[in-house]
Amino acid sequence: MIETAIYILFAVYGLSGLLYFIRLLRGPTVVDSILAADCVSLDVALIALLLSIYYRNSFLAVGALFLVLWAFILDVFAAKYLTRGEVGT
Amino acid sequence: MILTVIGLILLAIGAVCDLLGAIGMHRFNTFYLRLHAATVGTVGGKFYPLLGVAFIAAEQGLWPVVGISVLAALLVLVTTPVGSHALAYAASKARIVEIKLDEFRGEEDV
Repeated sequence: MIETAIYILFAVYGLSGLLYFIRLLRGPTVVDSILAADCVSLDVALIALLLSIYYRNSFLAVGALFLVLWAFILDVFAAKYLTRGEVGT
Repeated sequence: MILTVIGLILLAIGAVCDLLGAIGMHRFNTFYLRLHAATVGTVGGKFYPLLGVAFIAAEQGLWPVVGISVLAALLVLVTTPVGSHALAYAASKARIVEIKLDEFRGEEDV
């Protein structure tokens, strides 16, 4: 049962990630691209966790935590750069 | 068995929310509306599925996956509003996307 459900979930989340990625490429402004990159990285983290369930392997799940943290750091640092002109200070 | 069913229900809810957010990213026409769609797609479409993954992994005995999933879900719940507010503030402050009916910048320009 769970294998069939995971196939359908891969299809739906992959389609969502593809739509986000089209917005990343076509975004009129840079903040649209940053927002779409945020959503794509969280989507990839979720697909990695689903893969670790599908293969019953715990080592595949480690990268998901770094993807979640990277999305937050991308948002905050890009906002700081766009507001102040530099990241430090 | 019951944990797997709960996890699959949460994953299905998240799939619907994620697909609606991805469609909304193309249907809305300004950045601030797209921010709303992306936040719906992130909190509804990533927080619940991560909890669902934790339930399914707990049924299968994959305890490291449970820990990483719960931690990632809490991080998504905390960091998504912060990132959205930071991006909206940056887009407004750096004048990348203009707000049409701006109620807060009126006195500054006069």
